[in-house]
Amino acid sequence: MNQPLQDHICNEQLFERLYKKHSKNLHDFLYYKFGDRLNPRDKVQDAFIKLWQNCGKIAPDKAKSFLFTTANNLMLNAAAHQKVVLKFEKLPQKTATNQSPEFILQEKEYHKKLQNALANLTEAQRVAFLMNRVEGKRFKEIAAILDISTKAVEKRIYGALKKLREDIEGL
Amino acid sequence: MNRDSLIQKWLDNNLSPEERKAFEQLEDYNILIQMQETLMSFKAPEFSVDKNYEELKPKLQIKKSQQNWLKPLLRLAAVLAICFSVYYYTTTLDTKFDTQIANRTDIELPDNSEVVLNSNSSLVFNESNWSKNRTVTLNGEAFFKVAKGEKFDVVTESGTVSVLGTQFNVKQRINYFEVVCYEGLVGVKTKEEYVKLHPGESIKIIDGKLLADEKETATQPSWLRGESNFKETPLKHVIAELENYYNLDITVDDADKMRVFTGSFTHKNLDLALQSITIPLNLSYSKSGTSIVLKRE
Repeated sequence: MNQPLQDHICNEQLFERLYKKHSKNLHDFLYYKFGDRLNPRDKVQDAFIKLWQNCGKIAPDKAKSFLFTTANNLMLNAAAHQKVVLKFEKLPQKTATNQSPEFILQEKEYHKKLQNALANLTEAQRVAFLMNRVEGKRFKEIAAILDISTKAVEKRIYGALKKLREDIEGL
Repeated sequence: MNRDSLIQKWLDNNLSPEERKAFEQLEDYNILIQMQETLMSFKAPEFSVDKNYEELKPKLQIKKSQQNWLKPLLRLAAVLAICFSVYYYTTTLDTKFDTQIANRTDIELPDNSEVVLNSNSSLVFNESNWSKNRTVTLNGEAFFKVAKGEKFDVVTESGTVSVLGTQFNVKQRINYFEVVCYEGLVGVKTKEEYVKLHPGESIKIIDGKLLADEKETATQPSWLRGESNFKETPLKHVIAELENYYNLDITVDDADKMRVFTGSFTHKNLDLALQSITIPLNLSYSKSGTSIVLKRE
């Protein structure tokens, strides 16, 4: 999407377009980075309010990095940086119900291991990896969202996968 | 196709059908698929863009309107305050006119009264309250044509001249005060007395002495025509007057400064002016640069 040559974003249509383009990615980014403990949805909204308040000072092509930086800082300010505990919800939904209790137990255990392993990844690895695996984003798309090279995304994701497997199998 | 690059491609959702087959043959295929399925349970909660935007909108309006309102309003108020104070300052400020040596200025006062300010003089008045208080402060010489109206005062160091609407000349120099009335009625109040002047009458105070004067027949002071006229005036005042028109330093050497002089000199030609003064008094003059010395012949 090419923005017109404008040096500010004080225009409701433009602002709405920015919201539609970036809000979900921003939310996912915050969620995968910090978990849901600090309410990523609110931070997204706050970041956009801040963007609007400063709309006169921000060029359209700077809006994305402003949003991500602001939201990230809001998150960091919200609580002293603690070890991330990812409280991921719901167990995998299995359609088949004719599974042995043993299998279900194993499954639960695996889920727990994976959760711990995810929490042990670096923030950068976790964000890239989950955006890729869970949101189904290609390396290129993630690179654009995070403002890094495709190669770096690839490294993070592959590194994350390796680490997860080591963690799960090692335990 | 090696294992690592197949996994890379799988990660990037970029497997071709053949590659997919090869990938499915990998020994860790099952482990990867199991992980993938479990990972899906960690999906971020649904973020409904449209719904959230609707929620955000009212918050934006509040913040925006606060900003929109207050800041420009404060700016506007500041600008207005500055404008008002500048306006107030300039309108209540006295208006001042100055003339240099050998210069004169025509001044129109707010009520269309005219003032011709002679050389080396200054005139100060206040425009803001002019219709009620027609007062000018004069230092030097000026000719007034006053429009009809309230009392018109000319304040000088030597006295105040008040009139109703007339033409008159006021001359106030060092130890020299002269008022000539050309039209109407002029009241002159000095430290000692109050005199009313009718057309053609004048009052002259030189060195504190009041001098009776002949009737003035001219309708205008002579300086308006580029001449200075004197009747029985001590030489030092004549010379002081000369210095107002020519930028000179005149000294009188062994000549009597109090000798009276009757006559005139022009403002346009120095030699002619010097001759008009020195010849009748039997003096001679010598010039060097800007200084002139008068001597007895």
